[in-house]
Amino acid sequence: MKTTVVGSYPKPKWLLRIVKMYKDGEVDEEFLEEAYRDSVKSVVKDHEIAGVDIIWDGEMRREEMTSYFAERIEGFEIYGEVRVWGNAYYPKPSIVGELRYRDELALKDFLYLKGITDREIKVPITGAYTIVDWSFNEYYKTKEDAVYSLAEVLNREFRELVKVGAKYIQIDEPAIPTHPDEIEIAKNAVEIMVKGVNAYVGIHMCYGNYRAIFPDVLDFKVDQIDFEFANRKFEDLKILKEYDYDKDLGFGCIDVHSRRIESVDEVKNAIRMALEIVDPDRLYVDPDCGMKLLPRDVAFEKLKVMVKAVEELKEELDI
Amino acid sequence: MIVTTVVGSYPRPDWFREYLRKVAGLQKDLDVEIDIDVLRRAISEVIDEQKRAGIDIPTDGQLIWHDFLLTIASRLEGFEMNGLVRYFDNNLYYRIPIVKGKIRRVKRILHDFEVAFEIESKIKAVISFYTLTKLSRNEFYGSYEDMLWDLCDAIREEIRYLESIGVKYIQIDEPSILYAEKRELEFLRDLFKELTDVKSETILMTYFDSAERIFPEVLDFGFDTIGLDFVEGYEENLKIVEEFSFEGINVGIFDGRNTKMEDLNEIRERLERIISIGNFKRIYVSPNTGLEFLPRIKAYEKMRLVSSLKEVFE
Repeated sequence: MKTTVVGSYPKPKWLLRIVKMYKDGEVDEEFLEEAYRDSVKSVVKDHEIAGVDIIWDGEMRREEMTSYFAERIEGFEIYGEVRVWGNAYYPKPSIVGELRYRDELALKDFLYLKGITDREIKVPITGAYTIVDWSFNEYYKTKEDAVYSLAEVLNREFRELVKVGAKYIQIDEPAIPTHPDEIEIAKNAVEIMVKGVNAYVGIHMCYGNYRAIFPDVLDFKVDQIDFEFANRKFEDLKILKEYDYDKDLGFGCIDVHSRRIESVDEVKNAIRMALEIVDPDRLYVDPDCGMKLLPRDVAFEKLKVMVKAVEELKEELDI
Repeated sequence: MIVTTVVGSYPRPDWFREYLRKVAGLQKDLDVEIDIDVLRRAISEVIDEQKRAGIDIPTDGQLIWHDFLLTIASRLEGFEMNGLVRYFDNNLYYRIPIVKGKIRRVKRILHDFEVAFEIESKIKAVISFYTLTKLSRNEFYGSYEDMLWDLCDAIREEIRYLESIGVKYIQIDEPSILYAEKRELEFLRDLFKELTDVKSETILMTYFDSAERIFPEVLDFGFDTIGLDFVEGYEENLKIVEEFSFEGINVGIFDGRNTKMEDLNEIRERLERIISIGNFKRIYVSPNTGLEFLPRIKAYEKMRLVSSLKEVFE
């Protein structure tokens, strides 16, 4: 039973300031780079103090989970932002040509992180299905074709990551449960993405209706599936029970949409429910989703509570 | 003779987004106090942009509409807004309106449209009725029919008001009606007749899907013009045109949800086909959906494409 995170963590306020200064031309790239590296160090320290077993760098460089990758892959172009709700916008990429590997996506981040921590590392990257679903398609005949092409690109990145020592890759696919009718495409895409990737692979999903993707999702070629549960009051656990869930479970048990800090006891109770479904060695305890939208002190407290709950339970269960 | 138009929404100018962020935050409710001069400047900009692109009948761009339901629901009595829900098959979310009390019109609904109407009188008002009830959650009315009638009264008051100030075009957007059951359509006829009984030209706008399920019933709703989505349902809607006769059509033929610019020749052939098998007195051509799904520069390009199509025809 290990603790981990989904990926993002609140950015230090000073980093946001410096990113803005960089955009306004007030500081140069070297200045910004140093700020990124320092912010990763501080985030890693937060995770280490909280006691999280498997960590990532808090995604200090990623402002958003689609365009960050699209900007680094051949065949994408970003014309501008579109609304996702209310007055919130994201840069929605367009696929304008054949998708091809160009720049590394997380390789440098991984290597840097490896150099500053002894903790186990998980590398999260947005999956092919989600990136395509959240992009315009001007080039490929079908969405399916675009997804498979992008899956090949990501497969190369995953293999490069393994070459330099990555052992745990997480494919982020929040869009999958929002299109249950395309689950077959998503499944095939995962197979392409993990082909020849000699690492532990998890897939993270949030939003949408989980029931609609069961039991198909159990056939995905991954070691672990990570779901959000706290946000849905753990009701979805019964779906897993119904379908004899048999993969490792990433167990989102901290609500990232609420600033209320959970009590250790309620987290322990939640984990006990998860243990009715998988054995402790197949359970990865984490927050529901990335924590970037929380105030930093709240995120830190939540991580501490999560780790404490796991430690106490381990002691109680003698594992 | 072809008239170019748009469906409704248009991307907000950057500076207006920033302004809204300052006065409203990201998700603040509803009736945010917006400086009328700022609103006028934003709407002017968007109307100008549509006219510059060659759109004959523009809209106000629905610039203060945080989502498609919020502006209507929040200005009526009886609704409260709740969490985010996915808007059809889009990566776009709306706050679900909850009906908590009797629905009543207590003030003007389209106050932003009025600002636009002062700037440009040849402009289309956009509102919605049935779809609002389908995408809301009813926690007040014992029967769905009662809720529909109350909302119908409220929307009718607004439409009558628009008529009284001289609005020439009133569009009712109803993507949800494409999924109404046959029985329901018969019942809806009486309601829509209340809404379309005005001197202004009334337009029913449908999108995101083909419309074969609402024919022939919809022909008795009293609309002057019916808008069909020929991007999502070209073959099906072509059959409608073949089988049923109506005078006014809005041909949604450019994809308002993709940055790809269509081949004009292909679109021209499609449009010729539609026009040749129908017997129309009024033909509007537009993208199939509002343009807020696109980045602003692409929204502009799409409108240019619409007007190029008209030029090709003339």
